[in-house]
Amino acid sequence: MAAHIGSSARSRSKFELYMWFFTRVSGVLMLVLGAYSIIYANLIGGPGMMDAAAQTRWAFFPISFHVTASKVEVEPNFQNAFWQFYGLLLFLLAATHGTNGIRVILKDYVRQPVLLAWLNALLFIVWLSMLGAAVYLLFVAQGVS
Amino acid sequence: MSKLARVTLSQFLTYRGGQPMLAWLLHRIAGIGIVLFVGMHVLAAFFLYGVTGGTANTVANALTEFYESRPMQIFILFAVLYHGINGLRIVVLDMWPGLHRFHREAMWLQWAVFLPIFLIPAFLIALGIKIG
Repeated sequence: MAAHIGSSARSRSKFELYMWFFTRVSGVLMLVLGAYSIIYANLIGGPGMMDAAAQTRWAFFPISFHVTASKVEVEPNFQNAFWQFYGLLLFLLAATHGTNGIRVILKDYVRQPVLLAWLNALLFIVWLSMLGAAVYLLFVAQGVS
Repeated sequence: MSKLARVTLSQFLTYRGGQPMLAWLLHRIAGIGIVLFVGMHVLAAFFLYGVTGGTANTVANALTEFYESRPMQIFILFAVLYHGINGLRIVVLDMWPGLHRFHREAMWLQWAVFLPIFLIPAFLIALGIKIG
């Protein structure tokens, strides 16, 4: 029994260690991905074609809806399979990073273990729904080109 | 079991955690803010494109009107920049623990980087000046 509890505690702390590592790696990766998007937009979009608002939207998340209001030609440079998978990767990193952050905050403040378990289950469902919505928006609503 | 400390409001207000506490608090507020903004934005977009096929609808409009308001734009700019730059400081100090000797300097360096790249666009947004 004691061994069982010990090993479960160890695997639990291993999960925390992995999430600690993931938080750092995904955080740096998101900064790199955002930097690449904005450099790309300025090289391909060209000077004077995107205002600061469009560049900020595109840097935060590279989806064609974010540049349709600007003067750039959306297809093919701002709407293609590369940017769809790039957006999916970015959203996967962001949603997981954010959901894990909320999980850590809940663990800090929720004292009742049963309530915490239910909230974590709810959080997991929200995370999956968000990923589903993102896949729909990136690949169906935006249109595969 | 729980690590939650019981503190009174006056204890909370007079606790002098200084710069590290401020960074922790702002990081947490910014993180929650980004999660709420991204959540609202994805939900609004899903309602707009997935439910009514790109034409206006009540849920999308209400959410969009809220997060595109000027104070929210400035808050999101703050949240993303602060969380990103503070997170970078945390990653650097975690990767090179020897640098903890300079953790004070790192925080001042962080403010020196963060304040200009936040305040200049924030003023432009607040004054409604568009560039580009």
